[in-house]
Amino acid sequence: MNHKLELRNLSKTFSIEEGEMMALEDVSIEVKPAEFLCIIGPSGCGKTTLLRMVAGLDHPSSGGIILDGKEVKGPSPDRGMVFQEFSLFPWLTVLKNVEFGLEIKRVGDKARREIAERYIELVGLRGFENCYQYELSGGMKQRVAIARALVTEPSILLMDEPFGSVDAQTRNILQEELLRIWKRTKKTILFVTHSVDEAVYLSDRVAVMSARPGCLVKCLDIDIPRPRKRTSVEVNEFRGELLMLISLERSKVCISV
Amino acid sequence: MRLPAKEKWLWLVPLIAVLLLWEFIAGYVIRDPLTLPRFSTVIFSIYILRELVIPDILTSLLHFGIGLALAFAVALPLAIGMGWFRNVFKAIDPIIEILRPIPPLAWIPVAILWIGLTHSAAGFIIFIGAFFPILIDSYTGFRDVPKILLETGKVLGCIGNKKLIKYVAFPYALPSIATGTRVGMGVGWMCVVAAEMFGVGNYGLGFRLFQKFYFLHQMDYVIAYMLILGLVALCVDRVFRYFVEEKLLKWKKGIVK
Ligand SMILES: Nc1ncnc2c1ncn2[C@@H]1O[C@H](COP(=O)(O)OP(=O)(O)OP(=O)(O)O)[C@@H](O)[C@H]1O
Ligand SMILES: [Mg+2]
Repeated sequence: MNHKLELRNLSKTFSIEEGEMMALEDVSIEVKPAEFLCIIGPSGCGKTTLLRMVAGLDHPSSGGIILDGKEVKGPSPDRGMVFQEFSLFPWLTVLKNVEFGLEIKRVGDKARREIAERYIELVGLRGFENCYQYELSGGMKQRVAIARALVTEPSILLMDEPFGSVDAQTRNILQEELLRIWKRTKKTILFVTHSVDEAVYLSDRVAVMSARPGCLVKCLDIDIPRPRKRTSVEVNEFRGELLMLISLERSKVCISV
Repeated sequence: MRLPAKEKWLWLVPLIAVLLLWEFIAGYVIRDPLTLPRFSTVIFSIYILRELVIPDILTSLLHFGIGLALAFAVALPLAIGMGWFRNVFKAIDPIIEILRPIPPLAWIPVAILWIGLTHSAAGFIIFIGAFFPILIDSYTGFRDVPKILLETGKVLGCIGNKKLIKYVAFPYALPSIATGTRVGMGVGWMCVVAAEMFGVGNYGLGFRLFQKFYFLHQMDYVIAYMLILGLVALCVDRVFRYFVEEKLLKWKKGIVK
């Protein structure tokens, strides 16, 4: 079997004032190369925690993360990350933000600029190269973050509710652009969201999580041919199924509380 | 900042009013040049003293430069250490907090004893004055780098303290360093008069003001030099702001305005 990424019995406990808090319990997922996997679940179920561990920013309490056959030990530019919050370096222009990863890798000035320009073009921000963060809208900031994450050519892209803070129309446009980028660059994408619509529209497969402690409920293959229509019958069917799964989880939580 | 022409010159009105009031009160109410010389007399004194003014300003700027350069050179590395490593902070902060409340003037005997009556001794007093504001604002900057920016740096390839400090913490802290330097420059300049009072040379604004004019009860000269002290500081601050805030910290505009 040829997996791009393997999460093996991943658990994470945080020590807090009242003792220990289990954020993730025994999550196992296998991700194929070039797969678009969405992770969906209620707020606080550990989606960010999961992604941070794959990025190498947090360490699992038990279990392991295998990427390309090697265990993940710490952060590395071969895993691109787009954070849930805005994360542009405010002292850098759009161009310099996108160039950042290349500068660290000591790519020469000219090559750096060329590559960065290409990705800026890819996310549709041509003409904004010299803007600072404060001159950009929320959606534009996330586009820059995406370009910046892509520029070092990571083989896997981790996205944590990247479109959570933009309006519905912009969100639709960004989703389409992401699919276009995904098709062109053939990245493996781990995409966290709590929007059912987003998950069904984007992904090859959706992993549904439950809260407290966060664990994997079910993986659902979304085998609708692309390009998908947001209002088609199949899309609606999947949406219904996902909503049911999630509300089922929610009612379980209510009972257990 | 672009203001309409009318607003641009608004500051002139109260300034001229104050000067006219001064001229009037000195000339018609007090009528004693030993208590308060007229503004026009003071301006005329500057003209009389023109041979002295330039070397005095240059000497004072020399003392100021020595003190400030030293303060910056010592404070910045210390600030990086204290802002970045908790343990360095814990180890050094008590010493800093003991030394900080000692007024710079209290160091004058020490300076004379250690360094003698030299330009460096005056520089030392100014160093004491400028050092603490630069240090404290700077380490605050290094300490408060948002976690999200550090993590972004890490996933883009900044592995290790050195790279994180160079590419993320330092640029983030620059505005704080600039603020600290500006405040430090203000305090340092205030120390110039005191530092030169004890006669480290035969020139200097503070030296002239205290050792010559005051002893000879030349009130018009004293006030002339007070004005010069103010104006030089104003110019230094303007030059600093022009280069640092307009050029270096352009990106701050959207944040502080
Ligand atoms: N550093 C930490 N220390 C202690 N607890 C933490 C820490 N980080 C996360 N948690 C806890 O772990 C749980 C999962 O958090 P996480 O951020 O992964 O949720 P999430 O699924 O991303 O939620 P959201 O959809 O709101 O972003 C939460 O209950 C949170 O309080
Ligand atoms: Mg989250």
